[in-house]
Amino acid sequence: MLRKDEMPEAEGVEGRAGTMFSRADYEMSRRREGASVRQNESETQVAVRVAGLSKAYGDLRALDGVSFEVPMRRVFAYLGPNGAGKTTTINILCGLLERDGGEVSILGRDVAADPVLVKSRIGVVTENSNLYPELHCRRNLEYTGELYGLSADRRRSRAESLLNDFGLMDKAGAPFGTLSRGMKRRLTIAAALMHEPEILFLDEPTTGLDVPSARSLRDLIRRIVGGGATVFLTTHNLFEAEELADEIVVLIGGRIVERGKVSDIKRRIGGARCLTVSFSQSVSGGDVLGVCPAIRNAELQDGALKFEASDLHDAIAQLVAFCNKENIRMNDIGIREPSLEDAFVSLLAGAGKSDGKDRP
Amino acid sequence: MIQLARALAISRKDVESYYGKPPLVTWGLLFPAVLILAVYIKDRAGYLDVAPGIIAMTLLFGNTSMAAIVITFEKRSGTFERLLLSPLGMGTIILGKALSAAAYGIATSIVLAVGLKACMGLPMARPDVFIAGLLIGSCVFSLLGLIASVMVKEVFEAMTLMNFFRFPLLFLSGVFVPFAQMPGWLKPVAWLSPLTHAGEMIRFGIFGETAFASPWVPVAASLIMFAAVCVLSGLSFQRYARR
Repeated sequence: MLRKDEMPEAEGVEGRAGTMFSRADYEMSRRREGASVRQNESETQVAVRVAGLSKAYGDLRALDGVSFEVPMRRVFAYLGPNGAGKTTTINILCGLLERDGGEVSILGRDVAADPVLVKSRIGVVTENSNLYPELHCRRNLEYTGELYGLSADRRRSRAESLLNDFGLMDKAGAPFGTLSRGMKRRLTIAAALMHEPEILFLDEPTTGLDVPSARSLRDLIRRIVGGGATVFLTTHNLFEAEELADEIVVLIGGRIVERGKVSDIKRRIGGARCLTVSFSQSVSGGDVLGVCPAIRNAELQDGALKFEASDLHDAIAQLVAFCNKENIRMNDIGIREPSLEDAFVSLLAGAGKSDGKDRP
Repeated sequence: MIQLARALAISRKDVESYYGKPPLVTWGLLFPAVLILAVYIKDRAGYLDVAPGIIAMTLLFGNTSMAAIVITFEKRSGTFERLLLSPLGMGTIILGKALSAAAYGIATSIVLAVGLKACMGLPMARPDVFIAGLLIGSCVFSLLGLIASVMVKEVFEAMTLMNFFRFPLLFLSGVFVPFAQMPGWLKPVAWLSPLTHAGEMIRFGIFGETAFASPWVPVAASLIMFAAVCVLSGLSFQRYARR
């Protein structure tokens, strides 16, 4: 928006080169400048921009018009069942695979046009911890630094600092092949951070890890984002995505079927909230369903009845009315929000149905 | 220069990880040394006929095998993917991998030649041409190994693929029968073999004579073949990387 004092008073004003142009031209020019500035600002706020991405392997369409944006300094989870096209997307984003169509911009650059520059600004942790088994941990990190063009001093200091940060200092001289699975995972992530990438791609980071290792890795991912990096996460672990991700995209059959903030998706797709009620005397699910229309489903679970409520307020009111009428007391009542897993399962079920409809 | 430094880093790492291992060095030396010794025991002067060919054969087998094994192994372990994900041009990766394999072949061949000179009095008329033969030959053979490595998945497949052309080359390239003594109908086939030209350059280095009109003939032929395998390896790696 132009401020009033910035506007030329006259209908025709003289430009810098001495050419005359109209107020409309002037305003158009200012709008263009503004748009350009906004575009640059938006470029700096968007880490990854994908538009209409498509890829086919023969007759199989692995990606079909996929579009999304990943904001800077966020954890972005890219979810989907096996074969959904997640790895194909990551491989295209990281320059390992050519796309058939669409646009991909990583930090404002096209990886296909400028692969070396883009790769120097991203870090990639593949599903397997793939450092060199015969090299010791410090050497693995320093070698990675060499590949990214870090100076010898910088390599040494970064390796030292990452070994320290990732709790691997006492293993600095141990060959990578001798480490535990959790340590290998941590060192692989450390190697991806050697050159301080602006975007870190993490493919199934906690697969195969025990609970403490997975938890410590999640803390680590939070610290990485806290340090200013953007994390692009693919995982099958929906609890992990729910814990870490600011935004998620769900991909099924090469198409995006849902996107947004975790809380929004859970609310939108997760379906009914669950009520778990234990009564003072035996009650069958059928008794309750008959008189409580706000309750969709009932099942006995660990001595209590678990209900799916389409409307929580109405369900509780109807349950209370039922109890009063039958002179039954509610000993305990618990409410559970739908999880991301519930939402994901709903999406998969929905996709299955729509697939079924599409097929002859 | 930046990419060259990264290629050298890849080579250094490979030498450290694979080529510097004592069993490998020993194997690379023992196999040709025993072969030459076997001929030497039978005919003390006759070993000179086969020495250049066996040195060239050592280069061929050492370089193609090691280049192919290293890449195939790294493809399987996922470490090769690290290179593809790093900010490296495809030429940088090829150069880095080929340099280490070539260094291994050159080092073992030089040690073998020095050993033969010290123990069996191997002559060395033109050391410069001898070294040039080793250099160009090892580069061509390393690149051939790299090309084979991206065409297969397993190490044994790489070996099978390479043996398909390596063993016939032994009989077609003047390793056991010098090029000059080959039947006329075989010579055009031998001409197409990179092993023939590497062997002839090494032969010229040792004896100061060649079966060709000029020592520049095998040099020029080797350089043309080097250029061809450079292009081929570049195309193969690009194709592999975008699979």
